[in-house]
Amino acid sequence: MANGWAPFIGLVVVAIFCGAAWFFSPKGEEQTIWRSTLILSASAMYLMWAITFLAQLNPLITPVRNNLRGPEDFQR
Amino acid sequence: MAPHQDTMFRSADMSLTQLYIANEIGREVVSALGELGIMDFRDLNSETSAFQRTFTQEIRRLDNVERQLRYFRSQMDKASIPMRSIYDFENPFTSPSASEIDELADKSQQLEGRISSLNESYETLKKREVELTEWRWVLREAGGFFDRARGQTEEIRHSIDNDDAPLLQDVEQNGQNDTSGDRSFSVMNIGFVAGVIPRERIAAFERILWRTLRGNLYMNQSEIPEPIVNPENNEESNKNVFIIFAHGKEIIAKIRKISESMGADLYSVDENSELRRDQIREVNERLSDLASVLRNTKSTLDAELTAIGRNLAAWMVVVKKEKGTYETLNKFSYDHQRKTLIAEAWAPTSSLGLVKSTLSDVNDRAGLSVPTIVNQIKTTKTPPTYFKTNKFTMAFQTIIDAYGTIKYREVNPALPAIVTFPFMFAVMFGDAGHGIILLSVALAMIYYERKLQRSKLDDLFSMIFYGRYIVLMMGIFSIYTGILYCDAFSLELPWFKSMWEWESDGKKLGPRATRVEGHTYPFGLDWRWHDTDNDLLFSNSYKMKLSILLGWCHMTFSLMWSLVNARYFKTPIDIWGNFVPGMIFFQSIFGYLSFTIVYKWSINWAARGIDPPSLLNMLIYMFLKPGDLGQDPLYPGQVTVQKLLVVLALIQVPILLFLKPFYLRWEHNRARALGYRGIGESTRVSALDDDEEEGRHLNGGRESFGDDEDGIAMITEDIGHGEEHEEFDFGEIMIHQVIHTIEFCLNCVSHTASYLRLWALSLAHQRLSIVLWEMTMKNAFGFTGITGSIVMVVVFYAWFMLTVAVLCIMEGTSAMLHSLRLHWVEAMSKHFIGDGVLFEPFSFKTLLEEDPVE
Repeated sequence: MANGWAPFIGLVVVAIFCGAAWFFSPKGEEQTIWRSTLILSASAMYLMWAITFLAQLNPLITPVRNNLRGPEDFQR
Repeated sequence: MAPHQDTMFRSADMSLTQLYIANEIGREVVSALGELGIMDFRDLNSETSAFQRTFTQEIRRLDNVERQLRYFRSQMDKASIPMRSIYDFENPFTSPSASEIDELADKSQQLEGRISSLNESYETLKKREVELTEWRWVLREAGGFFDRARGQTEEIRHSIDNDDAPLLQDVEQNGQNDTSGDRSFSVMNIGFVAGVIPRERIAAFERILWRTLRGNLYMNQSEIPEPIVNPENNEESNKNVFIIFAHGKEIIAKIRKISESMGADLYSVDENSELRRDQIREVNERLSDLASVLRNTKSTLDAELTAIGRNLAAWMVVVKKEKGTYETLNKFSYDHQRKTLIAEAWAPTSSLGLVKSTLSDVNDRAGLSVPTIVNQIKTTKTPPTYFKTNKFTMAFQTIIDAYGTIKYREVNPALPAIVTFPFMFAVMFGDAGHGIILLSVALAMIYYERKLQRSKLDDLFSMIFYGRYIVLMMGIFSIYTGILYCDAFSLELPWFKSMWEWESDGKKLGPRATRVEGHTYPFGLDWRWHDTDNDLLFSNSYKMKLSILLGWCHMTFSLMWSLVNARYFKTPIDIWGNFVPGMIFFQSIFGYLSFTIVYKWSINWAARGIDPPSLLNMLIYMFLKPGDLGQDPLYPGQVTVQKLLVVLALIQVPILLFLKPFYLRWEHNRARALGYRGIGESTRVSALDDDEEEGRHLNGGRESFGDDEDGIAMITEDIGHGEEHEEFDFGEIMIHQVIHTIEFCLNCVSHTASYLRLWALSLAHQRLSIVLWEMTMKNAFGFTGITGSIVMVVVFYAWFMLTVAVLCIMEGTSAMLHSLRLHWVEAMSKHFIGDGVLFEPFSFKTLLEEDPVE
């Protein structure tokens, strides 16, 4: 399944972003803060996206409609 | 990059410095350092009481000036004259020269005299005015009584003169005796008392008079319509005019006494109406004279106060700074022979250059040939923990500091918390719409930062304002998590092609859906789950696992910092005795659980044709019945792997328990065998050895440790403070380690469970916003036409207010508190040492922030 590779592709993207954040953070007193904030944010956001993606990769249940009492349901 | 750049990762490198300051410029030096605000002066006279210190006189004088300034302030408040705001001054933070201070003291002394004399005369005049007003009222009202009473003299006379007089005669004779009405009261020996009394006392006054005089009086009273203002305390009170007629001098005297004791003011009234008219005229004249004098006094006073108000704020700042300077100078020790002040202060090593250049500037300005010397001294004392914060990091640092003071040079948990704290919040608060509200509030606060900083805010809002950058991060992350949860004000965000298609039988959709082959929803939760029967089933399973995974990541991340700390402090035993076994224990249970969660997700169970095994049962069986799965295996060889992991985890417990204490004992015994002894253990034997004497001379003969006689005690005591030289007590270490082990192992379980709050709160938040939407907006959409638009407007406001109040403020607060707890307890317990000493620099800025002048 080609889909399964998406988290790894995302990982590569985030890793590249982190590398860029490390090297291109503005120099000076706040460099540490820039680096840590950017890298941690990217990692945290990636993690949550990847978890959400993985949870739907092979779903065990399918959605069931709940508005069965709409007008079209009584036509039969 | 400079080798010694302080970052937020560790607290700044501190050094203990010693300053030798020429006595003449002590004040200037300290006030220049106060402007810098980077030196934490140690109290070198801690055994001297506050009254015996060198600069007590100056402080007392400044206290007096401060009192005078406060007096001006209160007078200005009383006259409601505004003070020029501190922010209107060009630069309120310039330090004053000594002559300016003297001038200020003189000036405020003078002004105080002037103001208080003006005040006094104003108050006397005011009192006089009140008296006259009251007199006027008495004259006016009493006139009415007299006129009425005069008509009755005859009757009174009759009733006195003639006991047999028929009762009805009064009525009959009433019309005929007009001429005799002018007969005065004095003829009949009837006296009277007139005055003014507060209205609430009138009832008691009447009763007392009645009882003491047994009814032998005739009392008349009337209310003064306008309230009388008491000049002493500016309080308004309602008063009554009364006039009492009675028979006999003694009774009149008695009445006078009673009325004075009841707080009444008595005024003389003439019974003759002509004279009374004159009196009234005179009173009126005096009143108008008084009013013009009062006006003049008042305007002079106001002008004086306005002039003071123009500079008062600056003076207050100056005096505060001056007082702070002298209080710091009192911490210095004074060398009488060399006329120098000796100070000891902690300062960040990186700012020593700045300190030195500032000091030489002060020296040059004073034109003094004796330079101020800055010495760095080596010490075993624990340096204070100092983080240089900016407005972005300040609030984050504060929430960590609120838990405990970070150990000197320990990894600072606030640095990762800049991201993890708002992120954990957002996982619980996830809703893009609410996130946008938070973000816009934060942006507004940041945009109007300067304005808001200067205005007075109430408690709650100032707290939010203080954490505006936290709110900013929270808003950004909430929007992100909201998009991932596919929730914006509880509505779906159908941005991508869904992975589900409703089944259709030609007429209607559903109830079931089929998956679009080979397509997984690319970003966040699929929006098709919204408004389905089983969305909770799916989102609960997803969010529960999300919490466990995030919790595992966060705890592993935090545990890694203990490795970094141990490496930095060069305590390898903490790595091998605490970190490694702890990490293995944690990973072999919860790392494995996280692995199986991800593994289970990535397998297509339907294609395999077996029921997906339950992870919860797996974890329970793993410990209760190792070797039995109780269900289908997740993967081949699962039994062996799990057995191995359980054994691995169990082996770590004894390692965690015994390795560190026994290693420490071995190390201690080895040191003992080599002949080393802790200095702290010896009882004042070595303290007077030559080495010690020499050591003291090398330190520049400093007197900071007090008198020479006390040297022995001080030195040993001093070393006792250093952690390394504590007496070795194996029992204590063992107990400590047992507690640590039990705590760590249990916490691995309870903390992992604790992260489930992420799931619980995000579920609650989502459900609440759905309920709110369905009860308000969804119903409003049902109306059409004009009614529809009116209903829509009303309902929209209600919905929006509730969204802000309940979902953003209330839910946001609770999510923030839970995120705070996850950081303080779950994350920081993994690595935080936290026995630091707070760095409290002498700084005019903090001095003025703590006690603002406004």
